[in-house]
Amino acid sequence: MLGRPRLYTAYRQEIQLLPTWTQKTVFAAFVAVLVLLPFDLPVIDHIPVIRFLGDPEWLRPMAKVLVYAVAALGLNLLSGVAGQVSLGHAFFMGVGACAAVYLGGTSGETTWGHSLPIWIWLPGAGVAAALLGVVVSPVAVRLRGLYLAIVTLGLVFVGIHLGNTSWGQKIAGPPGLGREFPELDLRFWKEEVPLVDVGGDGRWLWFDVSDSQKRYLFLLVVTLVLALVAKNLLRGRTGRALQAIRDRDVAAEVMGVPDFGYKLVAFAVSSFFAGVAGALFAALSQRVVAADFGLFLSVEFIAVLLIGGAGTTAGPMIGAFFVVMAPEFVGAFTKWLEQAEGGLAGGLSRVLLTEGGDFGVINTTIQTPGWTLSVYDWNVVLFGALIVVFLIVEPLGLFGLWVRIRNYWKRWPFSY
Amino acid sequence: MRQLRWLVAVVCVLALMAASCGDGDTAGEPEAPSGDTEEAVDEAAAPDVGEDGPDTEEPDTAMDEPEDTVVDEPVDAAVDEPEVAVLKTGLGVDPATMTIRVGVNTDLSGPFATLTTPMADGHKVFWEWLNDRGGVQGWTVEPVILDSGYDVPKHLENYEVMAGEGDESVVMFSLAIGSPHNLATMDAMREDHLVAVPLSWYSGWADPDIGSQVLEVQTSYCVEAMNGVTYMAETYGGKWALITWPGDYGEDAAIGAKLAGEALGLELVYDGQGAVSPAPGADHTPVITEIVDSGADWVWIAASAFQTAPIMGGAFQAGFQGRWAGSGPSWNPALLNTPVGPLADQLYTHNYYTVLWNASDSQGMQDVVAAMQEYRPEAPFDDLYVLSWIQGLIASQILDQAITDGDLTRAGVEAASKKITVDLQGLAPDQSWSGEPNDNIVRESYIYDIDLAAYTPGRTVMDEGNNGIALIKGPYASETALNWEYEPCFLAS
Repeated sequence: MLGRPRLYTAYRQEIQLLPTWTQKTVFAAFVAVLVLLPFDLPVIDHIPVIRFLGDPEWLRPMAKVLVYAVAALGLNLLSGVAGQVSLGHAFFMGVGACAAVYLGGTSGETTWGHSLPIWIWLPGAGVAAALLGVVVSPVAVRLRGLYLAIVTLGLVFVGIHLGNTSWGQKIAGPPGLGREFPELDLRFWKEEVPLVDVGGDGRWLWFDVSDSQKRYLFLLVVTLVLALVAKNLLRGRTGRALQAIRDRDVAAEVMGVPDFGYKLVAFAVSSFFAGVAGALFAALSQRVVAADFGLFLSVEFIAVLLIGGAGTTAGPMIGAFFVVMAPEFVGAFTKWLEQAEGGLAGGLSRVLLTEGGDFGVINTTIQTPGWTLSVYDWNVVLFGALIVVFLIVEPLGLFGLWVRIRNYWKRWPFSY
Repeated sequence: MRQLRWLVAVVCVLALMAASCGDGDTAGEPEAPSGDTEEAVDEAAAPDVGEDGPDTEEPDTAMDEPEDTVVDEPVDAAVDEPEVAVLKTGLGVDPATMTIRVGVNTDLSGPFATLTTPMADGHKVFWEWLNDRGGVQGWTVEPVILDSGYDVPKHLENYEVMAGEGDESVVMFSLAIGSPHNLATMDAMREDHLVAVPLSWYSGWADPDIGSQVLEVQTSYCVEAMNGVTYMAETYGGKWALITWPGDYGEDAAIGAKLAGEALGLELVYDGQGAVSPAPGADHTPVITEIVDSGADWVWIAASAFQTAPIMGGAFQAGFQGRWAGSGPSWNPALLNTPVGPLADQLYTHNYYTVLWNASDSQGMQDVVAAMQEYRPEAPFDDLYVLSWIQGLIASQILDQAITDGDLTRAGVEAASKKITVDLQGLAPDQSWSGEPNDNIVRESYIYDIDLAAYTPGRTVMDEGNNGIALIKGPYASETALNWEYEPCFLAS
């Protein structure tokens, strides 16, 4: 059956993680590239975009992509697979970050903390968020769609308010200043020298590795493991049950899928992902600030799902890459245009860029928002525009685009 | 085929748009830039400066000198040439082209963009102006401006770019905004020997344990409130109410205000420390009710203009007759263009850290006005330009000192910042970061009356005069502020 993508002779075969050898090979190569990306290696250095992403200054955005991917995978389970629209994702991330800093942070005059190692605080962040997810889930049995979205929206405001109370400040630090977040170092218990030092430059085995390379690799491992968990959940009994509930919860219940139980599972698992992502998000900032986990963060993840494609495992990861990297690319592209002289780039630069006055649409001077827009304002405008465009033109997101392209070439030269 | 065309069209649109997605999460972080904007005072002072183009040349020539105020050598590029040869340089400096890069890590797309974008522009004007007049001892200074969208991870990302070795590496940060942002980069800045001028008047920055790499500017929210409360008590009576945001801005001010209140034996009839919600559209009725019931002579508010307007208006409608005063960010002259305008004209006293636009005829004010007229004639007039000018003066004088000391590396610039006293040319009290914070912190602030008659919206830097304020006192330091033994008022963890 080699090379016949849609032909399965057994159900077990159909739900395989990577059904074809092509997929296995491509996936292995993809992971290898991701792992090797931050290093100066002869082969990697010759792949244009990859090389670019592996440069030290691009590693932080790449790390952010990974954190966003974890959070988006969680939201995807809840909203994309189980169909429970949630605007409260940032709340669960905040809970995760707070739980992590409570467990892993140092205690002081104004702060609570237990200085526990990462193998406790990182899963702890997920568990704390999952417990709250379980508490919230009964609401989803009573409410659907827009109403559920509004209830979960309320969580975000409750969360920020709790973060500003006197107990909240003991955990999340004073409002506006936040609190220092523990390093990602791996310790057995509370010893001075960590088993694996992730926070600083140093050697791993025979290689010199910088702190940003270490952080990236650590996040990559966490992301891959969690993506595997998400994928497995999706292709098994739970995944099918969640999809049945998404498509019509009453019908699912008639067929014997327990509505309450699976919605609870969806909330718990989604919140677990969110909690872990929240802790990693704070680790990336090296600070927890309660106000960071506001409505905008929730909306960003909705955008990640819409742009990437809800309901699949690859979609949220593509979406996370796109949402985080797009502004970076726009910035880099504008800078490249600015420096361009002559040729195609020079022409483009004359058409697109302006210092005010002529007809370009990207203003390269710094100015208060107003026409023409600066590249920063364009990023904000395009963010909104893209959500609209995707919803209308390609509801399946970037993943849907990819499926269309694949199908087109599979049928080529026939249209049907 | 039609589907394909669709696909191609979508891909093209995508490719053209090439992306999207602003970063700026977070909201309602009190911190720095909120608050005030355009103002000016003292109509008498204005005509000297504003009127005509040719005028700008005079200040120019006069202006070359202030650069050397801190050093004893003249600032002549030609004279300094031999010195350049022995000058130690490092990252962020290009000796071949005699260029120094300074970093601006600011918010150009996030919640504070409307305030911080003109500031970044004003800051650019400062360097354009200075470079056209010979730069710093012949060196051209080039600001590297990056947008954080007020997002901490993005701020760190920008930091790593500017602290790195690429063509955007810098020798210091002439502006880095955001309290959690600066705290997040503090350890890295210490390692990299980078210093940063913040846009936040949090009292903790002066404490080396909190802000060793931050060159705090002007007085703090805490001391400003001491001065403001003292003035209000002396002028309008001893029964007062206090309402503030939670967090490093609001509560810093609240603590200072209470210190002054206790020292003067005032009666605090309502303590609303942290009671005002920064959330947009929040309900302020409980706070208003408390103020009306308290019967205070006056209220001190530390919030933003978005709260000042509804609270002041609401309390007045409910029968509160007392006066109002507040920390700098609580006021915005744009309020004069709203129904609260006449009320503010009669009842509000504005406090600030610097001289406001056109409010004096000091050397610094003449320069900033002339430079803005020359380089950005269409810009609306705005005190934010005063702030960005001050940041420029600080950075240029530190660089000047570093060059004079023969060490233009990051460590050299850091060392220069710890020994210099910057001359802010009458825009704000001079400042130093050497020795003990208690000896260094600025204790003077400026107190203004709101003057509706003087306010005209939409004026540009070419116009004369005033943005609706009149200087009452300043630089002014109250007894409480002068006697106060420094410690961070609101404590960070």
